[in-house]
Amino acid sequence: MKGFVRLAFIATLWTYLVIFLGGLVRVSGAGLGCPDWPQCFGRWFPPTNVSQLPPDMDPSLFNFALAWIEYINRLAGMTLGLVIAAVAVWGIVRYRKIPSLWIPSVLAGLTVAFLGWQGGQVIEQELHPLIVSVHMGLALFLASLMVYITVRSFRIESGGYNPSLQAAPMRYRVAILWFLAMTQMVFGARIRGGIETLAEQFPLLNAGALLSKVGGIAHLHYFIGAIILVAAVILVPWVLKSDSSRSPLVRQSAMGILHAGITQIILGSILVIAGIPQLMQLLHLWFAAIFIGLIVMTFASLSYIKEGAYGR
Amino acid sequence: MADNNRPHFPNVTLIIAVMLIVFTALALFVIRWANISKTTPPVLATLPDFTFTSHENKPFGLADMKGKISVVDFIFTNCHGPCPIMAVNMGELYRDFASTDKVQFVSISVDPERDTPAVLKEYALQKGVDAPPRWIFLNAPLDDVIWLTEKGFLLPAEDLPGNHTTKFVLVDQLGQIRGYFDGTDGDLMRVIKEQIKMIAREMP
Repeated sequence: MKGFVRLAFIATLWTYLVIFLGGLVRVSGAGLGCPDWPQCFGRWFPPTNVSQLPPDMDPSLFNFALAWIEYINRLAGMTLGLVIAAVAVWGIVRYRKIPSLWIPSVLAGLTVAFLGWQGGQVIEQELHPLIVSVHMGLALFLASLMVYITVRSFRIESGGYNPSLQAAPMRYRVAILWFLAMTQMVFGARIRGGIETLAEQFPLLNAGALLSKVGGIAHLHYFIGAIILVAAVILVPWVLKSDSSRSPLVRQSAMGILHAGITQIILGSILVIAGIPQLMQLLHLWFAAIFIGLIVMTFASLSYIKEGAYGR
Repeated sequence: MADNNRPHFPNVTLIIAVMLIVFTALALFVIRWANISKTTPPVLATLPDFTFTSHENKPFGLADMKGKISVVDFIFTNCHGPCPIMAVNMGELYRDFASTDKVQFVSISVDPERDTPAVLKEYALQKGVDAPPRWIFLNAPLDDVIWLTEKGFLLPAEDLPGNHTTKFVLVDQLGQIRGYFDGTDGDLMRVIKEQIKMIAREMP
């Protein structure tokens, strides 16, 4: 990989790092580690000591660890914004004649800018569960765009190298799986929001006990999870069978869907059984992003590219 | 058929696996760090001013505790009850913090008649305490010891020396009490260490 593809690839990896860091902020309870935004305790660099706090800020709010965890997420997010801006500009200029690349590039640029602003709202609204969910949903949408841009540009740059014709229509079925997975993510985020709302009513209950009180939406999440797993188990062998060209890209991404899907179910079950341990919650969240990314990767590797469209 | 001349897409499974391992390790560390930070020990009380005599026959009081984190306990050299275990535990902490002068250990004798500074010095040598001492043994008239124990450290001081408290008291750099620990429970030393580290972050 070189040039644009390499940058897009790095930006995608960085996106997954930031999603991980965001989840880490969430599970370590560092969301309000910096109570203000975009600065942290009125400084561009978080304080290391209570004595550095501005006089109007309550020192009991200050927690060195939480401030730094939140600050590193912001720093990584800001860097991501810059990297994706570069991808967007380069993508728009380089692929101005290929709508399947310049449109996602524009969208990625807009999404990351909006995410940055919306991240400020998360702090402003003091981690309102719905706003946190939107923040995460947007991040997974951004990850989808970045994976698509990377794989699509890779295929175009490596010379219109297509899966077999029978395989191409499979991408619509893969797209349905993407919608299912995104919906599933929304319900998952709503469970987390429900737990937080309940936690205020029942301060002495632990997360596991609260989960059992969430009710309807949790059951829907388990149900859709089962549907997605069944869908993946049917769809993946079907995709592989239809691709008689045995494209390595199709193979590794489709198999990835299956592996990540099974991992997600296992992680989700551990959450229910073990009462939502923090690390498992984080991994469940991050693997949702991985699962969705692999679906997009499969979709992009199945998409047809006109012979000689841009290949070099 | 796969064409070897064509560029290959990186092995995504491998990348995900590596990221997963690195991230999990990072997360384990960060989550633990965050959880500990949220349980930073509260300020329970502030010590009154006092001046006792150290095993080096020098005055030692509140002023000498300020600027350092101290772990304080109550002992007597002739004690055969819980003291040997307490001394082992305190000795373990003493060695763990050998690299820093921000932490000191203070053992106050509850049998001052017998535990003169000279006796305490002998005892300190036995415990392997070198100069300049990070582990200080204190002597004061029994009434002063009782007063400091009850009014300062908020611990019982009846039927001394036999019935002395076995608590380790964690005192911060401002002379404030931040925690009490059963000094005969070796497992708690790990907790004290963590809390000392936490309080040390508050120091300049």
